[in-house]
Amino acid sequence: MSRKALVISPELCIGCRGCQTACKSWNQLPATKTANKGTTENPPDLTPNLYNKIRYVEIPSETNPVRWLFVSQRCMHCDDAGCMKICPAPGALFKTKEGAVGFDKEKCIGCKLCVAGCPFNVPRYDEKDKITKCHLCSDRISQELTPACAKACPTGAISYGDRDSLMGKTKIAGSRKLYGETDLGGLGVLYAFKDAPKVYGMEESPAIPESIVFWHKVLKPLAYWGIGGAVAASLVHYAVFGPKKDEEVN
Amino acid sequence: MANMVKKASVFEILNHWITAVSFIILAVTGYGFLFHLEQLNSIFGNFNVMKDWHNWSGVVFTVSLFFTIFNYLPVSLSFGSDDIGWIFKAGGYFSKRAAVPPQDRLNAGQKLFYLLLLIAGIAISASGFVIWLMPGVRKWVLLSHLAHNISFDLLIIAVPLHIYLATLANPGTFRIMVYGTVPIEWAKKRHAKWVQKMGF
Repeated sequence: MSRKALVISPELCIGCRGCQTACKSWNQLPATKTANKGTTENPPDLTPNLYNKIRYVEIPSETNPVRWLFVSQRCMHCDDAGCMKICPAPGALFKTKEGAVGFDKEKCIGCKLCVAGCPFNVPRYDEKDKITKCHLCSDRISQELTPACAKACPTGAISYGDRDSLMGKTKIAGSRKLYGETDLGGLGVLYAFKDAPKVYGMEESPAIPESIVFWHKVLKPLAYWGIGGAVAASLVHYAVFGPKKDEEVN
Repeated sequence: MANMVKKASVFEILNHWITAVSFIILAVTGYGFLFHLEQLNSIFGNFNVMKDWHNWSGVVFTVSLFFTIFNYLPVSLSFGSDDIGWIFKAGGYFSKRAAVPPQDRLNAGQKLFYLLLLIAGIAISASGFVIWLMPGVRKWVLLSHLAHNISFDLLIIAVPLHIYLATLANPGTFRIMVYGTVPIEWAKKRHAKWVQKMGF
């Protein structure tokens, strides 16, 4: 099974938020009451009941005083996922055969370490303290259906398909470089940005926090070799020098 | 047994074993989280239950660590030239006939082990409470996760050595943590300064 991906083209997005609604509909997530803050960006951030949202960015360019960018935000389905790396509960976060990062609430222990491990501030917790987030509609894509958001998108701003061929198509269509081609082992959600990522509210080069990388590469193996080394050193000492007999102590 | 001397109080012995048992539960469950040891489900049922064991054993460990301060901190901080001499001779552990300087109620190695236990213990407890009670506060959780794992590595190396030195390597030592007493002659050889202070 080849890796699946979404390619998001903010310049094609009209901000209708049909993807948000379709996502809620498929995943049976209730609506959340919010207050009007003078923008149609709503809700203001991802919630346990909102797996994807459109971020509204208003940045006038030199030629156009009105420039709205609509950026679909959700779990990026990293190949090398920080949430999975740090998660202490086996099976709570897992890779589907399509390359999506899925979750199992039964196995989640509610420690929220994934929140610290995620470079994109994505995981949210429900009222039972279990992880929730976009799972790339893994229940749909396993049946060869398109994720709800991409299915609902009327302009093609969210397109879904095999990661490799999708990347090829987007490049032919004229996008210089896709955001997320190589970051974190390659993201499962790519952006066809036409400007610097920070204009769209994304970090230039997202990465797993360095402390987690250090822990994974050094501290974790040391916990394994450390106890083994200490026990082995003790046994070797015992074999070579033996116990301190009373007559030897002075 | 008139020739015995009391080296540890009942409180000290009890507290030692509370620290030890809680540490072992914490280490086993900690390894479970670190390496996804699903085999442990046969003991704890599932990882949710294991998390509760880990957290609450952490509370027990923290409290018992606090009480060790009264038993060991003052003597461990009194680090003198005899202690340095002991360290330079590696406690005589790598020679059959090395003479080490006279030692206090704790020898220099025991003092160092205690100081390490205290520092790493405070770090691992404090960071554990941050991870437990401030979930999702990214900056603090990342820092605590790092501190938790560094101190775990230190402890998981030091504790097996502590166990070896207090049992196999030094016959006659283990009984202190069971009966609290040792023969005076045994103590004179190993803790001369302490025995002298006791007036024997």
